[in-house]
Order: sequence, then structure tokens, then C-alpha cells
Amino acid sequence: MKKITILLVAFLINLTMNAQEYTKSLEGIEWVKIESKAPIIVKTHSKKDLMIKGGSALQFPEKAKGLKLVGEGGSDNTNVGFYVFKEGNNLIVRNLLKSDNGNAILYLPASQKIKVKSEGLNDMEIEGFSNEIEASSEITGNITLKNITGPITVNSSTGDIEVIFNKVNQSSPISISTATGTVDVTLPENTPAELSLESTMGEIYTNFNLSIPDKKGLKAISAQNIKGSINNGGVKIQLNSATGNIYLRKK
Amino acid sequence: MKNKHVIDLLPAYIDGVLAAEQQEAIALHLKDCELCSEELNAMKTLLKAFDDEPIIQPSTALKVNFYDALEREKIESTQRQTATPKSLHPRKKLWTMVKVAASIAFLISAFLLGRYQNLSATNPIVSVPKSQQETSKTALMLALMDDLSASKRIQGVTTVNEFEHPDETIVNALIERMLEDQNTNVRLTAIQVLMQFTSSETVKNAFVKALKSEKEPLLQIRIIKTLVKIQEKKAIAPMRFLLEQKDTEPFVKEQLKSLLPTIL
Repeated sequence: MKKITILLVAFLINLTMNAQEYTKSLEGIEWVKIESKAPIIVKTHSKKDLMIKGGSALQFPEKAKGLKLVGEGGSDNTNVGFYVFKEGNNLIVRNLLKSDNGNAILYLPASQKIKVKSEGLNDMEIEGFSNEIEASSEITGNITLKNITGPITVNSSTGDIEVIFNKVNQSSPISISTATGTVDVTLPENTPAELSLESTMGEIYTNFNLSIPDKKGLKAISAQNIKGSINNGGVKIQLNSATGNIYLRKK
Repeated sequence: MKNKHVIDLLPAYIDGVLAAEQQEAIALHLKDCELCSEELNAMKTLLKAFDDEPIIQPSTALKVNFYDALEREKIESTQRQTATPKSLHPRKKLWTMVKVAASIAFLISAFLLGRYQNLSATNPIVSVPKSQQETSKTALMLALMDDLSASKRIQGVTTVNEFEHPDETIVNALIERMLEDQNTNVRLTAIQVLMQFTSSETVKNAFVKALKSEKEPLLQIRIIKTLVKIQEKKAIAPMRFLLEQKDTEPFVKEQLKSLLPTIL
């Protein structure tokens, strides 16, 4: 009996320890700006607020009891290693932890506009959003966007970018660029779009049939810069890279 | 006292206001002292001259003129008084108060309106009112280029492609996007659009400026290629500089090495 009680208590404590969560209302917020030096995952949920789940690896050392975590960008006001504050109609969500210990999952409503910036050597994963996303990786970091509609502007200096679109939002342009990483984009087959694929030193591969406009019966063919439309044209999508390859896939 | 000169006491002595003993003492001293006697004589002459000077009376004309002027002044001041609000008819007074109250109310409401607009959570580019839709494309385009959404800024920038000869304001707005926009993709799009207008001196100079300030390798390459294409001599020095910089990416340096010699 004693053993069972001990086990039960330990289990419960474990649960409460892992359930480190932080919630913040998004009332009056237009943009949520997330900044992180540690790997970060941004997902959607059906609630109307922001929820941060500290990673299971999140452990504040015993010696830190009673003390507050501080970072370059502020001090922890969430108990999950983040500094969250309002700036006009923006909500700034700053991850103060630096390494894998700072792994966190953020939940937001699918219709929220977000800006995510990776300031370290960390990756980011964004899933399920149906509004504008601005994602940038300043140093090195891969960017993965799944199940989104856009419009998106994505830039990575050295990381790879992978984007899988749901249904492509036609309202305003999509632009993805990288210096040395690869750009790998998947679009639904029937997406109406005007494409511009440009790579200075990399190759461009696609299984879409691009209608490349011709001038006086001559088709413009350049390994470096391809402009064409699919499904009779639509939203402008531009993919740019310096040395990496560009892959454009049908879904 | 006998051995000191009495010059200081002479004025009082002349007036005879000193004590009897002092007067006698000074008189005795003066008999023997040449210096003081001379001083006494000089003072007496001076005083006589003052006394002899006739007092000039102002002419009677001056008196008349003065009183005339005084009268005139009196009349004018009463006139002025009647013109001041102090002696306003009560109705006029009320009207002025209303005017003041109205202007204060206007100021307050303008202030509150401004504050309200600031606090409003929606995008500053609210649904474009019909009257603006009727105005030129330029205004809409400039507004788009300033939007909070990077995607919309890209949209604003690419619309310039539809202009064959964009005017100065538009070109300057594009240049601003190329040099200052926080979003790499917006700067990239601005470069692509501006590449079509490199015949303009302003645009050429802007590209040289961009070469000096841009840190993103992808954009550096695009700028370098554009400058080489237009054979811009001013770009040679900044390109050499970039080549020597430690933090320039190797593949950018490769491009520089191969393209720099082609600027003749």
C-alpha cells in the first residue's frame, strides 16, 4: 500500500511539474511577435488566447528556487522562461532560454497574425495558421511551415526552408528567400499563381507545368530566373536563393 | 586739526553751519594755509557763478502745448476704454464666451479623436474609403508600401511595375524600401523593381548606397549584379571594400572577384 501511495504521489508531482503553462489573452492584439534563441514550435488551438507550454525538458535548477530567470530581453514573467508584454497592438513573446532546454510549444488561434524570429542557431516549426506569417532566421536555423495558407514572407540566412501550403491565400504576395539554404515548397495542384523562381548559383526543380510567357514566339529559358504562371495566373509567389536549390512540388 | 588741511570742511564753513569753535579754528588755519585759501576762493567763485545764473523759465507757449496734449491724451484714453471688452455690452460678452467655449470644445474633441484613432486596434490602413479609391493609384501604392504587413508592402512595391515612368515620390518610396525595410523579402522585391529604372541617376546612386549598407548575402549579390549590368563606376570602390571585409560571405566574394573586372 505504501509503495502504491508513494508511486501515486510521485506521479501526481510529475504531472504538475510538466504542466508548466502560461496563458495570455489576445484581446486588442493584432500581431504576435515571437523571438527565440532556442528551438520553437508554434501550433494552433481552438482557444482565443496565447498558451505557452514549457518543454518537458524545461527544468529550473534547484538553486534557482525563489529567483527569477533573466535574459537580455527582459525577465521571466511567465514561469516558463518567457518574457511576454504588450507593445501597442502587438504582443511580444520573448524566449529567454538559450539552448534546447528552452524548447517550447506555443499555441495560438489559427487566425492570428504572427511574426517569428529565430535569433540563435535554432530551428522553428509553424503549423496550421490561416493568416499572415512573417518568419525569419537571422543566423542559422531551419524554418518549417506546414498546413498554412499564407500570405507569408520567409527569410533564412543559412537554414533550409520547407513550406507546405494548404489552400493558398490569394490576397497578397508570398515571398520566400534564403542565402545558402534550400527552398522546398509544396502547393496544391490547382493553385492559381504567378511564379518567380530565381537562384543565383543553385538549381531549380519543379513538377508544375509553367506557362512561361513568350516574346515573339521565343520562350524565355534561363537556369537562373524562371517566371511563369500556373492555372492561368493568380497570387504572386516568389522563391529566391543565392546558392541553394529551389524545389517546387505539386500536392 | 591745525596741521591738517580743512578742504573737506570748507563747504560747511562757507555755509556757516559749523560749530563756533570750528569756524574760528578754520578761519585761523586759512590765514596761514595758502592751499586751503586758494581752495576756498575757488569754491566761492563757483558758488557765485551758480547764484548768478538766471533761471530760464519755459515759455508760456510750452505751458499751453502741454495742457493741450494732456487734454488730447485724456480724450483718447477714454475712447480706448470704450473699445475694450470691459465695457462690452452684456450680450456681446456672452457671445465671446460662447466662441471661446466652442474653440476649447473643438480642441478637446480633436485631441480625443486623435487618441481614439491611435488606440483603435485595427490596421491603420482601414478599408479604403470611396473617395480615396477615386484618387490616383499613387496614393494607394504609397500607403501599401508603408503597411504593417510585409506581404502588403511587397504588393505595393510590385504595383510600381505597372508604371512606365514612375514619378519622383514613387521612386523615392521604393528606394526607401530597398534601403530601410526591416523585412529581407521586401528589400529584395524593391531591388527587383528598381532594376528596371536604373537609367535614373537617383536610382543608380541608391544602388551604390545599398551596396554599402546591405548585409544579407542574397541581396548583396543582386545589387552587385545590377551595378555591374549598368557598368556603374561608382560601385568599384565599395565592391573592393566588400571583397576585403572579413564578414563577407565567400560566395559573395566569388561573385565580386569574377564581376568586378567586367566594369570597364
